[in-house]
Amino acid sequence: MKKVLATLTFLAAGLAAASPGAAQDKTIKVGTALDFTAVYTFLTAEYSQGQRDYIALLNARGGIKGHPVDIMVVDTGNQPQRGIEAYERFKSEGAVLVDFLSTPVSRAVVPRALNDGINVLTMFHGRSDAADGTVFPTIFPASPSYWAQATAIIKYIEEQEKGNLKDKKIALVLIDSPFGREPIPVFEELSKRLGYKFSAFPYPSPGNEQSATWTQVRRERPDWTIIWGAGGGQPVSVREAIRNGIPIDRLASVIWLSETDMNIVGASQTKGALRFEGVAYGKDVPLIAAIEKEVIAKGKGAGPAERVGSTYYNIGVATMAVFAEGARLALEKEGGPLTPAKLKRGLESIKDYTADGLLPPLTITSEDHQGGGRGRIAAWDGAKWVPKTDWIAAHQDIVWNLIRQESAKFKNSGN
Amino acid sequence: MFYRLAGVRHTSYAADRALWPVPVDRWQIRALLALAVGAPFLLPDLYLTSYLLPWLVWSTAALGLNLLMGWAGQIHLGYAAVMAIGAYGAIHAVRLGIPFELALLGSGLLSAAIGLVFGFAALRVKGLYLAISTLAMQYLVDWIISHVPAISGGSQATLQAPAFRFLGVPVAGDWSRYYVALAVCVLVTSFLLNVGRTSFGRALAAVREKDFAAAVIGVNAFYFKLMAFWCSSFLGGVSGAVLAFCYYRAVTPEQFNLDVSIQAVAMVIVGGMGSVIGSYLGAALVLLAPIVLNNLVGAFARAAALPLHQEVLSHIPLILYGVLIVGFLLFEPLGLAKVYANIRNYFLVWPFRHARH
Repeated sequence: MKKVLATLTFLAAGLAAASPGAAQDKTIKVGTALDFTAVYTFLTAEYSQGQRDYIALLNARGGIKGHPVDIMVVDTGNQPQRGIEAYERFKSEGAVLVDFLSTPVSRAVVPRALNDGINVLTMFHGRSDAADGTVFPTIFPASPSYWAQATAIIKYIEEQEKGNLKDKKIALVLIDSPFGREPIPVFEELSKRLGYKFSAFPYPSPGNEQSATWTQVRRERPDWTIIWGAGGGQPVSVREAIRNGIPIDRLASVIWLSETDMNIVGASQTKGALRFEGVAYGKDVPLIAAIEKEVIAKGKGAGPAERVGSTYYNIGVATMAVFAEGARLALEKEGGPLTPAKLKRGLESIKDYTADGLLPPLTITSEDHQGGGRGRIAAWDGAKWVPKTDWIAAHQDIVWNLIRQESAKFKNSGN
Repeated sequence: MFYRLAGVRHTSYAADRALWPVPVDRWQIRALLALAVGAPFLLPDLYLTSYLLPWLVWSTAALGLNLLMGWAGQIHLGYAAVMAIGAYGAIHAVRLGIPFELALLGSGLLSAAIGLVFGFAALRVKGLYLAISTLAMQYLVDWIISHVPAISGGSQATLQAPAFRFLGVPVAGDWSRYYVALAVCVLVTSFLLNVGRTSFGRALAAVREKDFAAAVIGVNAFYFKLMAFWCSSFLGGVSGAVLAFCYYRAVTPEQFNLDVSIQAVAMVIVGGMGSVIGSYLGAALVLLAPIVLNNLVGAFARAAALPLHQEVLSHIPLILYGVLIVGFLLFEPLGLAKVYANIRNYFLVWPFRHARH
């Protein structure tokens, strides 16, 4: 028992040492507890680097309306209990916004954040139904949900087929997890509306073995194939598709397909593959060019310079750009210091924000936290991703029916 | 000096069978209980809600698994699945309007019933083979939960824990959640402290040492193996429900995946098989060490302004954590409980070391 007490004292002392003292009042604090070590490793490093580089750019330019931003970064290993600890720590340090980039962790934190009124940014992950701002007042997906991504992909296919999808066969090859199954209702509903024949082919998680599934897909001879996975399963899907004779320019993916995946399979063999894009790719975007000039060139970058402009780097930049725009609007309207409640109102007054071309026009209101659900389809040309469409949003009625239906379930659970 | 053994006489059976014959141990227990009850007043909310509370709940779970692994000598690699059944069972029950107390018992019974089915495997196989058959339970339960929307709660696969009352008091704040977890933890702990003194506990020990030798001396190995699975699954279900209601406040399938089962087994092995205090220490090490190490390494890197990338920085605690576990097991293969016992034995006769036999 002595040992227990001694350990406790030691832990308490260690933890007290671990929490840095409160900085000056003007500093705006953002907490990011990401998964650097377990499941989301395929994107976390680039994503976090983008976030920190953007914050460095902001601070070099004098902060948001003179308020410097402090971004706290910690690893969660994708474990909900570590995410909760990080969340409580961020809360005690006065964070106005937190980001977890992990669906299990952000799901575990949602009830607490709603209770405490702290804003959670869940761009491209987390609960899709959190787009309903009336039920989830402080959760901000601020990005096209998986449902909206499904509608955009179908919209593109519809345009390619000259608006006629009658009797076309569309196959969805998905990871057998809640994430993989999430878009199925959208594809089924659209198949009723547009008349295509839809079939779903699940492969077991984590997806490094998919050959049995793709044999079935080949038998089906789909006109279009959509892959729905993330991380290590994605290059396997693309490789199996090629191996089974699926035309590569008729293969479309959910947002989680990056140049890394294409290089694994073979950059030139995968030419023509399509993906949904919610954030512009590459260094040509003015905002990324500015980071390169004002942060990277001065040696203040948070990681290897060759990652700048990569898919997940740009997504990281986009998250912080959305936050900064919300904070700017809040400080303009209500003045400092920035509180979570002010930031929430600021984020909800974002209108047609594009972050200098990095994002589709984003408009968040107190009802719509999705922000319009716009995205585009891009194709791999062997070296980079080339946009094939403008920023589009399609069939948002179906998306919103699902959002309302699921958020009503959440509401009815007595919270 | 600290442990005054003078005057501790075993003059009656009751005194001989006392849990803590030495007065100092009793005082320690009282002091710890007082600290546990007073913790909300003493600790900042951060430490109460994200260190002490999960530690208590995980200790409860580790105790349940320890009953099976330490006392009865059976291995279980699907304990997270048992906890998941309890968590989902309790949340669905409370949503249907059943009072929380009954839902807690019901979730235990449900887990016990399903756990018992997989316990039948233990009648035929042992050791690694049993590990594999309990692993099957983990995968089956995971699969069923995530594929049946009626259980998992639809496409978002998350169920919120509804508001609930415990013994007539609404449980809403951090403090009341902590006290519910503490109450369950104390109950389960006192059950396990006493198991060793009952015929049930002695029968489990007999089965653990050699099941057919136990049969020879008249212990029904069949019955007691199943009882061990039943009790352990019951405790697992209850702790899963407490975890869902008091800590996570929501359940998703990922909260109870294979990693969690492995962590639970690690808690028992690193803590010490068949030891109550070992379950607490093991839970503390496996659950809290990664968090504490992460914070310490982060603080050190900031203070020393180490030019390290975040990716490297995030992996250092993992290395340290691995070193810690291997180190503890090399240093004392019987677990943290044995480390504690060694220290206690040393002070038992200190400063008269020659008195030790």
